Amino acid sequence: MLTEVHVPDDLSEALRLVAGGARVLGGGTSLMPRLNDHASTPTELVSLRRVGLAGVRVDGSAVRIGATTTLAELEHDDRVAFLSPVVRSIASVPVRNLATVGGNLFAEQPYGDLTVALVALDARASVLDAAGRREEPVAALAGQHHGLVTELVLEVPAPSTFRYLKATRRRYNSASIVTVAAVVEQTDGVVSAARVALGGVGRQVVRATLVEAALLGQPLDEATVASAAQAGLGQLDPSDDAYASAWYRARVFPVHLRRALLGR
Amino acid sequence: MTVKIVNLKLNGVDKAFMARPETTLLLGLREQLGMMGAKRGCAQGACGSCTVLLDGSPVVSCLVPAVTVDGSTVGTVEGLSDGQVLSDVQQAFLDGFATQCGFCTPGMIMSAEALLERNPDPTTEEVQEAISGNVCRCTGYEPIITAILDAAARRRGTTAATTPETDEGPPPTTAYESSEGMRADV
Repeated sequence: MLTEVHVPDDLSEALRLVAGGARVLGGGTSLMPRLNDHASTPTELVSLRRVGLAGVRVDGSAVRIGATTTLAELEHDDRVAFLSPVVRSIASVPVRNLATVGGNLFAEQPYGDLTVALVALDARASVLDAAGRREEPVAALAGQHHGLVTELVLEVPAPSTFRYLKATRRRYNSASIVTVAAVVEQTDGVVSAARVALGGVGRQVVRATLVEAALLGQPLDEATVASAAQAGLGQLDPSDDAYASAWYRARVFPVHLRRALLGR
Repeated sequence: MTVKIVNLKLNGVDKAFMARPETTLLLGLREQLGMMGAKRGCAQGACGSCTVLLDGSPVVSCLVPAVTVDGSTVGTVEGLSDGQVLSDVQQAFLDGFATQCGFCTPGMIMSAEALLERNPDPTTEEVQEAISGNVCRCTGYEPIITAILDAAARRRGTTAATTPETDEGPPPTTAYESSEGMRADV
């Protein structure tokens, strides 16, 4: 039974409450449905709404996104326009006005598409706990529930290197069947660097290292992407859910990898 | 358990209510303040029937713990009409038969109001995206999309808005009476 919802207005108080066992509440779009269903039973919540972590700072190519920045704020920020299609693929307007960037890191698959993009973009999270502040790759945060993520740090990708495609059951407001996010750099006609992250195909966001290895040194064409997809299948562990079967997700993956990387 | 007082500027009027930790903004509006416009549908943020404007932006109020929004501005469907004169969106829904059972209508209308505030001349696709968080099981959506485009045209002055006609007697003199008349409690 919920006994208290704390709404501290400074970060140190929030940190103290978290250390004492209170569950962090960002926008509430993941946690509140479970509370409303009585399917989750934290007794104390600490809302980060007033701790002053919202906002996007851009300095050259360096981007710092405050953890409580809403998805809607990110969607409408022209300085990070490359993230707008990612955000618009998530849920719906009245949910994006609540959901936070930090909260998306802890959304369970097949949700959490922004995190898929952040892993591909090699974003790092600034985490605060009793031991102090540390920076961790977003990919390493999965499943962690200690400390407070205060900020995401990333670089604006070079022009036309960032790809994102989410296969869904309908155009808007659908969880992922397969989400592909990638940063692919090419030099002299071949792939010189690749980071590929996948959503919808595992219990966590999948960093598709086998796909990346198969792309490196090859021209970015249909044959390369088809063999990279075959290589990547071994890293998938998709689930059956109301949106798609595991079988379907595995079948869709090579097609959507091609569409994401080649645009066709 | 701590019960806290939550202050809101609700449809332009200062309001306060007592909230327990598990009281959502939706329940505060409905059960404490008697504002029955926003509906409790799924309580999962999936159906949009509880959509209200929180500090100007549409949110699913079923997912908002009330104590976290103390001091905020909230807009609900009850605040849209000016006496007996409906807002452009309300009138366009009425004229276009964009409601059937009416359960989704307050949420649809608040999503539409927020869209037109940000984008006075939306495309059909932009309307579809704006209401993608609002589920309607009656209309098939087409009359709703048409009504929102119609409301946008009315607001831009492309088409004159019509006012409802009353059959007899003078119009009610207070906003309270007319909002009672327009309200569909469920």
